[in-house]
Amino acid sequence: MAHQPCAIVGVGQTHHKTRRWDVSLGGLVREAAQRALDDAEMTWKDIDAVVIGKAPDLFEGVMKPELYLSDALGAAGKPVFRVHTAGSVGGTTGIVAAHHVESGRHKRVLAVAYQKQSEGNAQFALGSGRGFSIGAGGAFAPFMRSYMYRTGAPAEIGPMVAVKDRKNALKNPYAHLKIEDISLEKVMASPMMWDPVRFLESCPSSDGACAVVFTDKEGGEAAAKAGRQPAWILGSAVRSEPSQFPGRDPVAPQGAADCAADVYQQAGITNPLEQIDCAELYVPFSWYEPMWLEGHHIAEFGEGWKMVERGDTEIGGRFPVNMSGGVLSSNPIGASGLLRFSEAALQVRGMAGEHQVEGANVAIAQAYGASAQYFSMWVVANSLDPFGK
Amino acid sequence: MAGTVESTIKFPYKRSLGPVLGAFMTALTEQRIMGIRSGGRVIVPPLEWDPDTGVELAHDFVDVGPAGTVESWTWVAKPTAQHPLDHPFAFALVKLDGADTALMHAVDAGSIDAMSTGMRVAPRWKAERKGHITDLDAFVPGETPETHEGGGAEEPVTMMDYDATITYRIPTTANQLRSDQASEQGRFLGLKCPICNRTYTGGRGYCPIDAIELGEEHEVDLPQKGVITNYTIITPTPYPGQTATEPFSRVHVWLDGTDVVLGYQTLLDVPNDDVHIGMRVEAVWASEGEKVDKDPRMEGNLIGFLPTGEPDNTDPDLVNRLH
Ligand SMILES: [Zn+2]
Repeated sequence: MAHQPCAIVGVGQTHHKTRRWDVSLGGLVREAAQRALDDAEMTWKDIDAVVIGKAPDLFEGVMKPELYLSDALGAAGKPVFRVHTAGSVGGTTGIVAAHHVESGRHKRVLAVAYQKQSEGNAQFALGSGRGFSIGAGGAFAPFMRSYMYRTGAPAEIGPMVAVKDRKNALKNPYAHLKIEDISLEKVMASPMMWDPVRFLESCPSSDGACAVVFTDKEGGEAAAKAGRQPAWILGSAVRSEPSQFPGRDPVAPQGAADCAADVYQQAGITNPLEQIDCAELYVPFSWYEPMWLEGHHIAEFGEGWKMVERGDTEIGGRFPVNMSGGVLSSNPIGASGLLRFSEAALQVRGMAGEHQVEGANVAIAQAYGASAQYFSMWVVANSLDPFGK
Repeated sequence: MAGTVESTIKFPYKRSLGPVLGAFMTALTEQRIMGIRSGGRVIVPPLEWDPDTGVELAHDFVDVGPAGTVESWTWVAKPTAQHPLDHPFAFALVKLDGADTALMHAVDAGSIDAMSTGMRVAPRWKAERKGHITDLDAFVPGETPETHEGGGAEEPVTMMDYDATITYRIPTTANQLRSDQASEQGRFLGLKCPICNRTYTGGRGYCPIDAIELGEEHEVDLPQKGVITNYTIITPTPYPGQTATEPFSRVHVWLDGTDVVLGYQTLLDVPNDDVHIGMRVEAVWASEGEKVDKDPRMEGNLIGFLPTGEPDNTDPDLVNRLH
């Protein structure tokens, strides 16, 4: 590796809810950041630089929030870096923060990503302020329809993903949606929102934030010595492609495949299904679980839905996916990517509580954004050499 | 000849104020200006966290003013609708008596000649106060605040409305202008890349694959007819500015004999239950001079697509033509 190793030693998130009107915007990001610092056994003055990510400014109507939030994040006088890559932004924020350490420039970096959807309206923002917004569900619906046709996946696969993620959310104290009596019948009977996607196959609108503390090799080793297991970053990658051009396949975008190939190569992964113990994938609509299992080469094309059908992606299955309950259960958009990335870290640190995958040594996280055109991924492990190279 | 397209976006945002700014706004309804103690100093308006150390501040509030001193100022000779006053005024940094930091607000001094650094000012309060920085109408020269009878808010202020408006102009390129002009004549103008032969619509003056510019010499007229390859039926959710009330369809249309697929297009006069892949459709344009409330995903004066009545295209793989 040409760069310095980087360890995750602190993770924090808010309780995600429809409306967090009990706190200011600063109070919201602060809550996640404070938990991450506590986890890392650090204070504000220990942090060298802050990286902030969120989805478009139109969501809350706060322009340049990285300036507005610098007090809340103890960032006055420190380097602050704003990241913006649509829905994938949370993931990219984590990767950029890791780069700050991997480059050798900083020793301890705080990444924070958030969204306070209740201050604005996502459908409004995604429709550029006009009527007849198709929203994210409408934008992705034709892609899911094409996937269903191409693979011949049974109609229940999407609803099965929805049931699994909502059951996992019941084990996660921070998750937004908690639907105790969730069932396949209940999902299938829920209203068709963006044909072919139903209401209970879709993500909620959430207020929430997520924060991660990164440190260098020395810091990671010190944490390990003190009995606080770090998560080591074995590889990270981002890719993007234009939103549309003749011949683009948004069901299996080239950007997603390239991002996965890069990150596996960095981590020394040649057989993702065997070498990775669990995954947090960005699944805002149910069908995206099999689509991304295939799109990121965990399964062959047309095989991802069979993993869902067999129960492989449940906690306790062969390849657990979205143990946290995923985007389907909590969606503070800008934070959603970093929530995926931090859950992967929690898993390999053995700190995921009730949604812990037993023996999780290596985990991946992924986020995507805009018209399925921005991708970010990382591989984390509980050691720098999990495959005994 | 390039022009510009002007757009206005407005939205009634809500702000949850949190414990510190909430207390500040509540005090404003009571015609008081409040700061917070941070070590040896008093910060106005109050912050939740110490700006030097990042440590959370105890809620040790203290009233400041009512009068204060102008530390710096700038004259606004031509106020816009978004300014706090409708006649010329100064934006000033006012250090209130007892405060260690300055509050930015308007000073209503009548003329630029009445303004000076170091001048003394006092607040002029609004008669109706709701817990907003504009409850303090402006500062005026002198030591005496202008107050009103009546108390403050009945309940502590926790939320703030923020009605945001922004008007912006996007320059139109020469390509876009020609594309718009064609659409006014009911024509689809495409730009064909000479390297990869892909065709782009909407005056997109480049090929993202080959990274080359496309111009007038690459223009081609595209057919008006096509086939629906994919679709969705969208259930509208309410939001300020939403005009849709009933579920509506959006369709992908593949123009005949080309590689052009127009995504998320409006389908006219077809009940949602009848929308299907393979349906033959034709473009419908607004007549010249007719103003169209454009969906940004639609080409120029294109209103939508109507079924042609021709037999369906039954190729099952149509569903995969997404771009
Ligand atoms: Zn080309």
